[in-house]
Amino acid sequence: MSNTEPATNQVTKRDIRSAAIRYMFMACNTFNYENQQAPAVVFGLNKVLRKIYKNDEDYKASLNNHFNYFNTTTWMANLLLGASVAMEQKDGIQSKEAVQAFKTGMMGPLAGVGDTLVWVLYPTIMGSIAGYMGLQGNPTGAIIWLLLNIVFFFFRIKLFDVGHTSGLKLITALGDRLNVFTEAASIMGLTVVGALIPAVVKMNVQLKYQAGEVTLPIQTEILDKIMPAMLPAVLTVVVYKLIGSKKLSLTNIIFLIIALALVCSYFGILGV
Amino acid sequence: MEIIQAILIVALAFWMVLDQQGFVITTWFPSIIGMIAGLIMGDVATAMVIAGTFQLMALGVANIGGSSVPNYGLATLVGIYVAIRTTHDIENAKAIALAVGVPVGMLGIQLDVLGKILNSYVSHAAQKALNEGKFGKMNRIFWIGPLIFGLTTAVPTLLCVIFGDKIVRVLLDVVPKWFTDGLSIAGSMLPVVGIALLLQFMPVKKYLTMLLIGFVISAYLGLPILGIAILGFAFAYYYFTQKMSSTPAATAAGSGNTSVEGDEFDE
Repeated sequence: MSNTEPATNQVTKRDIRSAAIRYMFMACNTFNYENQQAPAVVFGLNKVLRKIYKNDEDYKASLNNHFNYFNTTTWMANLLLGASVAMEQKDGIQSKEAVQAFKTGMMGPLAGVGDTLVWVLYPTIMGSIAGYMGLQGNPTGAIIWLLLNIVFFFFRIKLFDVGHTSGLKLITALGDRLNVFTEAASIMGLTVVGALIPAVVKMNVQLKYQAGEVTLPIQTEILDKIMPAMLPAVLTVVVYKLIGSKKLSLTNIIFLIIALALVCSYFGILGV
Repeated sequence: MEIIQAILIVALAFWMVLDQQGFVITTWFPSIIGMIAGLIMGDVATAMVIAGTFQLMALGVANIGGSSVPNYGLATLVGIYVAIRTTHDIENAKAIALAVGVPVGMLGIQLDVLGKILNSYVSHAAQKALNEGKFGKMNRIFWIGPLIFGLTTAVPTLLCVIFGDKIVRVLLDVVPKWFTDGLSIAGSMLPVVGIALLLQFMPVKKYLTMLLIGFVISAYLGLPILGIAILGFAFAYYYFTQKMSSTPAATAAGSGNTSVEGDEFDE
């Protein structure tokens, strides 16, 4: 790459960093149902592409190409876009088809891994810890989460750069290793989720069993003796099945639980 | 002082959505947004209790592939503002935050969909400007996108800031105790939705053992989540190193990992 650099263009480290930040800011902020993140890609890359294409017509053709449907995990997109810039730098407008094929080919697999890691596992693990600490009025978990986000912010700028310098080669090489990593993260995630059920879902039965002289609080003397956190576990299974069956929307399930809580509160079945 | 707080809360609402969809630093995850809102309102402890409740509801609610999900960040923000303005009792605050926050968070979905529809026009306008050779104009058009999304959260927040606490005060005088108690109970049950939804995305059948281990340690032994997370990390790390050393292609990574493993044994 170094031998083509001085002659064909003057794309600097600074341009790359600026493209990364521009894309990262816009990411889903121009999201629409037609071409999804494409406007953000154009917004992110248009400054650096202008440096590559001095000719207005080539510039338009390249940007029109980037206006095509694009959607992947925004954190991972940095790798793809960095590599796209490298391809256009090398072959100019001839690379148009290749850039398009590369982006469409890679965005699916990267979204699969990326969404799981970035939007499911990371917020689950951090959210469980921060949310649980939060219930006790403690912001420590939230502060750690915020700091990690800042670290990831710089890491993602770096990802764009990595995509630009080693592009295609790297993404294919990482492929199967990322899968092992995702599996391992799932193991950790599930352990935490299992622990969350008794820790955060609270149901307290207020009823007492009355037989002559004897009163037996159902919650502490019966349910807890069979299994601690039995009701939360049952509720989890029920809601899990409900969501899986897709018969009720998420919103309806939420309102159903609120209604159930209100009814149980009215009849004194459940207490705070 | 109250005016400044109100302005900051609305500004935070505007920024929240832009950050979640872009930089992902402050985000709309309830814990983080709740902490910032707590700082603004001068009561971090109450804010964190409310944020924690919403955070656990929000688990697993990821806006994957641009799908629209209840805006729990908005729910948290509005809930914290109204709750701290109207009461200083934590259980009450939780019930109020839930009563105000959940509907507003649900409204957030509708506005999010609307924003995504409107952004089609932004995309078309920008592409049109490009083809006319008006590159500067194209760049300016893109900024309408963040403006639309910012308003989808800032407008509902503004309405709650103006009317929210008045409505809640009236409600609290009228509404019976079983009702606010019921909302508090719902608050302790609703995290189940997040957890159950999360499980849909995870390989539950394959790693059911991990789920059970986590449950048993927490329910029977009462170990805090952080401790269980470390345990979970240990399982994950073991799996990762085993897998890596068994695939011949990844020998380089395997050797790198064993040295890390050695360090941990020393501690």
